Amino acid sequence: MLGLGIESTAHTFSCAIIEKNGKKGKILSDVRRIYRPDNGEGIHPREASRHHIEQSSLVLSDCLKEANISIKDLDIVSYSAGPGLGPCLRVGAVVARSLSSFYNIPIYPVNHAIGHIELGKLLTGASNPLVLLISGGHTMLLAFLHKQWRVFGETLDITLGQLLDQFGRSIGFASPCGRNIEELASTSSNYVPLPYSVKGNDVSFSGLLSATKTVAKKNKIDACYSLQETAFAMISEVVERALSFTQKRELMIVGGVAANKRLSEMLKDVCKRHNCKFFVVPIRYAGDCGSQICWTGLLESQVKSGSSLKDTFVTQSWRLDTVKVDY
Amino acid sequence: MKLIKKGAEADIYQTNWQNSKAILKIRKVKNYRNSSLDSKIRKQRTIKESQMISHARTFGIPTPLVYFVNLEKSCIIMQEIPGTPVHDLSESKIIKLSKEIGKLVGMLHKNGIMHGDLTTSNFILFKNMVFVIDFGLSQNTIKPEDHAVDLRLIKEILNSAHAKIMTHAWNNFLLGYKSIVGTSYYAKITKLVSDIESRGRYAKVV
Repeated sequence: MLGLGIESTAHTFSCAIIEKNGKKGKILSDVRRIYRPDNGEGIHPREASRHHIEQSSLVLSDCLKEANISIKDLDIVSYSAGPGLGPCLRVGAVVARSLSSFYNIPIYPVNHAIGHIELGKLLTGASNPLVLLISGGHTMLLAFLHKQWRVFGETLDITLGQLLDQFGRSIGFASPCGRNIEELASTSSNYVPLPYSVKGNDVSFSGLLSATKTVAKKNKIDACYSLQETAFAMISEVVERALSFTQKRELMIVGGVAANKRLSEMLKDVCKRHNCKFFVVPIRYAGDCGSQICWTGLLESQVKSGSSLKDTFVTQSWRLDTVKVDY
Repeated sequence: MKLIKKGAEADIYQTNWQNSKAILKIRKVKNYRNSSLDSKIRKQRTIKESQMISHARTFGIPTPLVYFVNLEKSCIIMQEIPGTPVHDLSESKIIKLSKEIGKLVGMLHKNGIMHGDLTTSNFILFKNMVFVIDFGLSQNTIKPEDHAVDLRLIKEILNSAHAKIMTHAWNNFLLGYKSIVGTSYYAKITKLVSDIESRGRYAKVV
């Protein structure tokens, strides 16, 4: 079975084609173009959606070419229907609807966050993990129970990705800033005390963000180091809490911030302590990509027929713990 | 000494204290954490926990007796409560006990304590009495926002780990809580809980 997935929740416009064979999936192509705001600035939704519109046909044709497939071979098309930025989401939805109605291909709206998890499971082979979803849009600890992903802990304000990006932009980087901060942090080992806010299984980052900005006025490098150490220690602690509460034997990290090596190193240590297997999604598929949407659409097609066009909305606020998972 | 549980923060051992059975809770060094941050956290929480466990007893919350504290090693020796964590009880029992838990939380808040880690594993049923443990994240606070964070946490736990009985258990919890803190404070806190939830990521904006 061949699926096309279209991702356009935030800064990435991506199309991917996956061939599904039973439980196995093979990514035939995954092409993306990423909107880059100017240094020190964040995503401007209108500019990002303009970028997506301009790139969409190129990305689609590259994706088909790379997979060596024609549109008529596709069995389904899926698109990210939320959560995300409205103007950006609409671009992907329009492309998907056009293909679906013109070529008469079944269409599947997909939850972007579930996409991160399902692709992670496909690529890492984790079977029943505690999931740490960390990206610009999410910071959540999840476990699967009674046909739904349940939240065992999350951020009470901004996400880990936002924390890194907002701080990075304040010292002049362009988002996403995670890699720049990690590089700078690796040159320091001078820890400046910062607010550490763990509330049960939840975290809060907003106070940490303001405090780090103040430290950065004196020394940017120490600020990067201390920010990473504090924020990642908070994440590691709530992971430990959730592991010991749920008694899961696997931990899987997915989402853009999963690419951070220091965080992986800390979580690996946590897993060792709790005797649990550690899975991290390969870097190339950590960030937003068409594959996550495509694979989830393919999974849904096992139990559902495609949506009718009038139901193919986009929803900016669509929490993943409201999605029923029947496959 | 026998290791009973490797918790998130600390290891729990069974030990003896003056010829009676006791629990040793030790917050071990975590190598993944920056060492100055690590020792600060371990020390602070050991102090907080030992103080609050004893303080909560003074206004009638069943908690273990603290026998001994060693700050150097970040460990506490305390009375063993040989009961069952509420988390492991049957669903009908959890629903029933939720009211009692609500009352206990109400008493803590009324006396200016936020527990900070309200999960169903931190309440132990022993001889028909519910004991409260694990005060490592507790705080002396009378701020309604802090109390609301407590309620949100137990709601999150019921909603995830006990999803099937969530509605019953949560309603019972609220009944118990209300009976202690009174109607007006109850209304204020539950309003704050929905405020916190609405600040969550992609929460439904009403």
